[in-house]
Amino acid sequence: MENLSTIGQSLSRPDAPEKVTGKTRFLTDISVENMVHGAPVYSSIPFGKFNNIDISKAEKVDGFIAFVSAQDIPGENQVGVIISDQPLFADKTVRYIGDSIGLAVAKTPGAALEAARLVKVDYDKKSPYLSIDKSRDATGNFIHKTNLACHHRLRNGDIDVGFAEADTIVEAHFKTPYQEHYYLEPQACIAFPIEDGRIKILGSLQCPFYIQKAVARIFGLPNEKVLVEQAPTGGAFGGKEDIPSEICARAALAAMKVGLPVKVVYHRFDDVQLTSKRHPFQMHYKVGVRNDGTLVSAKILLEENAGAYATLSTVVSYRAAVQAMGPYVIPNIHVDSNSYYTNLPPTGAFRGFGSPQAAFGHERMMDIIADKLKMDPMEFRLKNIVKPGSQTQTAQRLNESVGAEETIQKAARLAQWNSFNPDRSGRYKHGLGMSAIHYGNCLGAAGWHMDGSGVNIKILPSGDVHVAYGLIEMGQGAETVVTQMTADALGIAPSRIRVLPTDSAQVPDSGPAVASRNVIMTGNAIRDAAKKLLPVLKKAASELIECHKSDIIITNDKVTDNQSGVDVGFHELCDFMSRSNMSMEFTGWWHTPPLEYNAETGVGEAYFTYSYATHIAKVRVDTLTGQVFVDKIFAAHDVGKAINPAGIEGQVEGGVAQGIGWAITEDFIMDRGVVTTPNLSTYLLPTALDCPEVETIIVEKSEPDGPWGAKGIGEPSIIPTAAAIANAVSSAIGIQMNEIPLTPERVLNQLNKTEIKK
Amino acid sequence: MANPLFRISLTINGQPVQADVPATLRLLDFLRYDLDLTGAKDVCGEGECGACTIFMDGKTVNSCLILAVEADGSELMTIEDLSHGKMLNEMQQAFVDYHSVQCGYCIPGMVLSGEQIIKDHGKPDRDTIREDLSGNICRCTGYQKIVDAIEFAADKR
Repeated sequence: MENLSTIGQSLSRPDAPEKVTGKTRFLTDISVENMVHGAPVYSSIPFGKFNNIDISKAEKVDGFIAFVSAQDIPGENQVGVIISDQPLFADKTVRYIGDSIGLAVAKTPGAALEAARLVKVDYDKKSPYLSIDKSRDATGNFIHKTNLACHHRLRNGDIDVGFAEADTIVEAHFKTPYQEHYYLEPQACIAFPIEDGRIKILGSLQCPFYIQKAVARIFGLPNEKVLVEQAPTGGAFGGKEDIPSEICARAALAAMKVGLPVKVVYHRFDDVQLTSKRHPFQMHYKVGVRNDGTLVSAKILLEENAGAYATLSTVVSYRAAVQAMGPYVIPNIHVDSNSYYTNLPPTGAFRGFGSPQAAFGHERMMDIIADKLKMDPMEFRLKNIVKPGSQTQTAQRLNESVGAEETIQKAARLAQWNSFNPDRSGRYKHGLGMSAIHYGNCLGAAGWHMDGSGVNIKILPSGDVHVAYGLIEMGQGAETVVTQMTADALGIAPSRIRVLPTDSAQVPDSGPAVASRNVIMTGNAIRDAAKKLLPVLKKAASELIECHKSDIIITNDKVTDNQSGVDVGFHELCDFMSRSNMSMEFTGWWHTPPLEYNAETGVGEAYFTYSYATHIAKVRVDTLTGQVFVDKIFAAHDVGKAINPAGIEGQVEGGVAQGIGWAITEDFIMDRGVVTTPNLSTYLLPTALDCPEVETIIVEKSEPDGPWGAKGIGEPSIIPTAAAIANAVSSAIGIQMNEIPLTPERVLNQLNKTEIKK
Repeated sequence: MANPLFRISLTINGQPVQADVPATLRLLDFLRYDLDLTGAKDVCGEGECGACTIFMDGKTVNSCLILAVEADGSELMTIEDLSHGKMLNEMQQAFVDYHSVQCGYCIPGMVLSGEQIIKDHGKPDRDTIREDLSGNICRCTGYQKIVDAIEFAADKR
C-alpha cells in the first residue's frame, strides 16, 4: 500500500497563512479591556548601593497609577533560576546598569515610560568590575560572595604524559564577543489578576514552566495557581528562555497591586541594555599532536563573562567544557571553564549556549595546528574525527548515529575543497575555511533531572485531533513537525491535526523549550501517547466494523479490516467512539535516557546523543578596506532523520545568518556598562546583502532514541559558522585571526601590522 | 497644556478615514493603536528594519518615520488589504510555498517590499532582490527562502 506519511516531506507551515496576511496577533499586538502599562525603572550605575527611591515626580505624570518595588513582594524576592543570586527588584545593592529597581504603571505606554524615567534614586557608587580580568583578579569588594559565578572541569587521561608523547605543542589565545539576540519582537507580556487569587500570564516566551515557577515563588503560591499561556512569539533564540520570568513576575506584582491587567513591552533600548546576551569568552588552548597528525593532549581554559547575575551561566559553562575540543578523539584532556561575575548585563542563553564559543576555540586551533604540521585542514580533521566506537573527550563511547566524518566529506565535495586554488595576487584575497562540530542533544547530565516532556492528544468526534504540548513554537517550526509526527504516529492526515498554543494548564511541566530538544522530546512523547491510543482506536474500530481488533490497520487516514478489506474513514471511527462514550484523550511522556556522568571529573556520558555538522565558508577579503564578504556557505548537518527538510534548511540558513552576524557585522560595544550600540544603525544585523546563498546538505545517521531517528538542528545550525569564516579569512590573508567580529577595522589593523613587520 | 489635535482625512485600504490626531503621533502608532491594524510592526522605530512597511500613494514607506499628520490626503495600503479579500495573493502564497516564514514578525514588511520589488523591476534577478530587500531585517531565515519566494512570484506575474 502506498504510504502517504509526511515524515521526510516538506509540509508547509500551518502558521504561515496567518503570518503572511498580518492576521497573527503577536503579544505586542494584543490589547485587552482595562489594560494598563508597565515600564521598568532600573539602575543608572554599574555597581553600588541605593538608599532612597523618590517617586514624587513620577506620580505627577498624567495617567500615573502605581509604582511597584521590592516592598510589594509577598513571597521570596528572588528570580535566580539555578543559583539564587538575583533579586526580582534590587535589595539595596545594584550590580549593573539595568538592574531592576521597580516598575512604573500608568494608563498608556508613553506615560509609564515617562514616569519610569522620573523616578529618582540616590546611589552610593562602588568601583565596578567591567572585564573578566578585573573580576578574576579581585581580592575583595566582590560583586556577590565571590566573583566566580561557577566552574566546570574535565579531567580525562594524563595530560603530562600526553604532552610528553607529542611531537609538537601549539598554544593560542582566542576571544569571542557578546551577541545581542535582537529578536524582532521585544520582550512582552500581559499579567492578569484572576478573582480567586490566581494569576494568568500571556507572554512572548520560550519557557512557560520557568515563568510559572518564578511567579509562584515571588508570590509564595503553589505553582498551579499561576497559569501561563504563550502568545505567538516574534523570535527568541534563547533570549526568551529565562528573561521573561522576571518580566512576567514584575507585571504580575503590578497586576495584583492595581487589580487590572498589566502589559509590559520593553522599549528596544531597554531590551538591549537590560536583558541577557551571548557570553563573551576568552580561551586559552594548549594542544599536543604527533607528527602524523594524531591529537594526544589538550589543556584548555575557558573564561566567561557572566555579567551581574549567574542566570544560566552554569549550564552554558558546562556545555562549553564538555564540547571544548570538538568532535575529535583526544585521550588526554583537562578543561577548566570559569564564569566570572562582572558589573555588566547578565549573559545567558543564546542559540548554541556556549557551543559557538567553544567551536571557535577548537576549530581555530585545528587550523593553526594543521598549518604548523603543513597538513591539509580537512585531512587533519578526518585523522582525528569521532566515528562509531570512538570515545569523546569525556570518555563517552559513541555507538550509533555518528555522522561527523560524513558531514566533512560531503561539505568538502560540494565546496570542491581539494581543487580550491585561488589567485591571491590582487586586492581581493579569497579563502576557504572549514569548521566541524558536535552538539550534545537536550539538557545532558547537568539538566537530566528536568529533561522530560509531555503531550496531551485529544480525539474529537469530528475526527479532528488536538495536540497540546509543553514546548513551544517560536518560529523554528515546532507546530509543523508536531503535526507531522502526530499524523504519522496515528496514521491520519496532517490536515486533521491542530497544535494548540502552549498552556501550562494543559500539559505537565515539560522543562524548557531550549537545547534543540523539541523534535526529540515532543516526538517521543507523541509516540508514547500513540502507543496507548492505537489499541483503543483498534478496539473501537473492531466493534464498528465487526471484526477482530488485530486485523485493524490505520494508515493514510483510513481504518481498514485487513481480512475483509472493509474500511471506514477516521472521522467515522471518532464519531462512533464519541457515541459509544469511550475515552478520547491520551497523554504521552518521554524522559531522556539515564546518563553515567561524574560531575567531579567531568568524565562520562555528557549527553545521550550528539548532532554533527561541518560548515565550509568561501570568503573574499578586500585588503584595501578590510571588509570580509561571505560568498557561500556549504553546511552539512547530521540530523539523524529530517522530519521536514525545508524546515531544516530554514534553520540552517537562519543559523548561518546569525553566525555571520556574530563573526563579522555585530559589534556590541559598551562604555562603562552603558550599551553604546543599542540600535540597528550601530549594531549591524546581517541584511540580505550580507548573507550568501547557503547549500544545505542533510546527512541522516539514524538515532535509536530519536523519534523516527531524528536529532536536534536548531542550534547546530549556528555553531560552526563563525569559526569557518575566521578560518577562511585567516587562510585568505595569511594571518591567524583569533578574535571576532572580523570588522573592517580589525581586519585592516591586522593587515597593517603584518605589513609593518614585513 | 493640552496637546492640540489636527484633523486628517485619508484613504486606508480603500476606506475613507477621518481622525483628530496630535502632531507627534507616528503613522505606525495611528495604524496599530487607533485603527487596530497590527500587521505593521514596531521593531527598531528608526527606519532601519522595514517591519513597519506599508504602501503610501503606491510606494512602500517605513510608517515609523512618518507622522500621522503627514499622511493627510494620502492613500495607504497595509498588509491586511493586500489580498483584496482573497485568502492569499500570489506573493503571499509564494511565501507559504517556499517556506519563507519562521517567527513571522518581519513577514508583513517583507511581503510588501516584495511587491515593490516587482513593481520596480518586473522580473529581477536574485542579486537585485537582495539589494532591494536590504532595508528589511529578518533575524530568523537568513533571507534565502524569502528571495526564493519573491523570485517565484515575480516570474509568475
